[in-house]
Amino acid sequence: MNWNEFLEFTRGPLFAVSLLVFICGMTYRLVRVVLLGWNKDRVLAEGSKAGGVVKSYGKGLLILPFVPWVKNTFKRNPIIYLFGGIFHLGLFVVIFLGTAHMLVWKSLLGFGWPTLKVPIVDWFAAATIVAMIALLIYRWTNPVLKLLSGPAQVFNWLFVFLPMVTGYMMTHHLWFPYEELFSLHMLSVDVMLIWIPLSSISHFMFYFFSRTIHGIEFGKRAVTP
Amino acid sequence: MAEKTIYEHLTGNGMSRREFMKMCGVLAGAMGLQMVPPVAASDLPLDPALDVSLTQKVAKALESKPRLPIIWLEFQDCAGCSEAITRSQSPTLVDLVLNKISIEYHETLMAAAGFQAEENKQAIMDQYHGQYVLVVEGSVPVGSDGVYCTVGGRTAVDQLKEAAEGAAAIIAVGNCAAFGGIPKANPNPTDAKGVWDLITDKPVVNIPGCPAIPEVTTGTIAHFLIFGTLPELDSLNRPMTFYGTTIHDRCLRRPFYEAGKFALTFDDEGARKGWCLYKLGCKGPTTYNSCASIKWDAGLSFPIQSGHPCLGCSQPNFWDGGGFYQGQSAPLNRPNLAAVGAAAAIGVVAGAGMTATNRAQKKQAASREAGGSES
Repeated sequence: MNWNEFLEFTRGPLFAVSLLVFICGMTYRLVRVVLLGWNKDRVLAEGSKAGGVVKSYGKGLLILPFVPWVKNTFKRNPIIYLFGGIFHLGLFVVIFLGTAHMLVWKSLLGFGWPTLKVPIVDWFAAATIVAMIALLIYRWTNPVLKLLSGPAQVFNWLFVFLPMVTGYMMTHHLWFPYEELFSLHMLSVDVMLIWIPLSSISHFMFYFFSRTIHGIEFGKRAVTP
Repeated sequence: MAEKTIYEHLTGNGMSRREFMKMCGVLAGAMGLQMVPPVAASDLPLDPALDVSLTQKVAKALESKPRLPIIWLEFQDCAGCSEAITRSQSPTLVDLVLNKISIEYHETLMAAAGFQAEENKQAIMDQYHGQYVLVVEGSVPVGSDGVYCTVGGRTAVDQLKEAAEGAAAIIAVGNCAAFGGIPKANPNPTDAKGVWDLITDKPVVNIPGCPAIPEVTTGTIAHFLIFGTLPELDSLNRPMTFYGTTIHDRCLRRPFYEAGKFALTFDDEGARKGWCLYKLGCKGPTTYNSCASIKWDAGLSFPIQSGHPCLGCSQPNFWDGGGFYQGQSAPLNRPNLAAVGAAAAIGVVAGAGMTATNRAQKKQAASREAGGSES
């Protein structure tokens, strides 16, 4: 199998299978969580549940990332907070606002959207890679994190890091022929798609799930989340 | 009597020594050789391994070698590569045919037809056994015992194998002959194959493209004529001289790619300003060929220069490599809704099943516990 055939395989059947595994796995995870069930709501709500949800998202997406010092976690672990923030923002920008990735979404969903200029996305990608390396070093050096880290955490890091690095190298045509980097990029993405439902990277979905539930709970009690 | 050398043939036709040396320089250039006069005069650093002027090398070869017999077979093709080679500028086909090579059999170009033509081909294969160059255009169908393409009542596979047996070199011109091309595209009803899939005991030089760049074809033939060897090949058996870099590497729109300036439609401001065509489906980054440097029609233009994205026609399976106007990053297969629904359904059933099992186990454990505490 030459690189050309390998690229066709990773862009074609392997990607399709990985995507289906991802969809199947994430549905399974979601169903398991939903079927855990929650107690019947027998208490009269003191405040607006919808209002609680709005506040919960507002705080989670707008306040905490941009005014982080209001949070205790930031004071205790500024490195994780800062680099974690850069990583998540960068990942969002690269995946949704990068031209090449928007074209992937367009081919899957049938519609596209405006994207950022390549050099801008590039900076975010570079920042994300640097943040990931910083987070890994911190994980290795911090005694508590070190204790909490097993193979699963290493794989989580690796399966996100590899697509980032190969994608960056590919965009800049660094060191290896384009189709080789493209193949490796696609391979790492395919592996990541399969790995996500099996791992805590699935928090990208449960984040919204838990934010909503917490918002409802807080809203019911008329307290600010 | 020994056969006339090319030089003798040329001087016999009235060519002067000066004209001969000039022609040798052009030929060296056509092969993409490094020490052609303009390059040599440019003071650029040259490869020290090449201490003799390439023009002299070419001249020496032409002085000592007879004309090269060529047998050109066409199978599942459109004759587009033949059409293209008639427009080769350096060396021109006229120059090649009249002076340096001798195309003994070419269905589109020869005047002869019918059984006489086939008999002539057979005679040439016998006479020049082990000396002729076999050029193949078009893919070879092997499905249903090869009946989808027959010439003179014989299948393409049969003809190819017979001609390949006595060939000194085999050159597959065009994507069809090299990699199966359009006839091999999904669902490939004739089970079309490239020449190198069938001829495995001899090296096959692939000159893919749709059509192949004429100068690349003639340059490769000229290389074999002059050096008596095949040029250096890449992993897909393409001459490195012509297929060493991607279209993207040499693209005149490359700075716009680097700057992130893309045309979004064929008639927007970006398209008018000549911005990068990546978003319009350009396959330049993964396509190896010299369109961007040699160009077409005597260096007039090439598709990207004229405003159309590269289709990747010199890569294997380019016809199935995603939509021509779909960004290259897009996956090749999009799972259909039924598959997505099935995957989600499996997830739901598995999740619900697992939950039910857990609940049942919990219940059992609880009842066991209750039973245990009663006793």
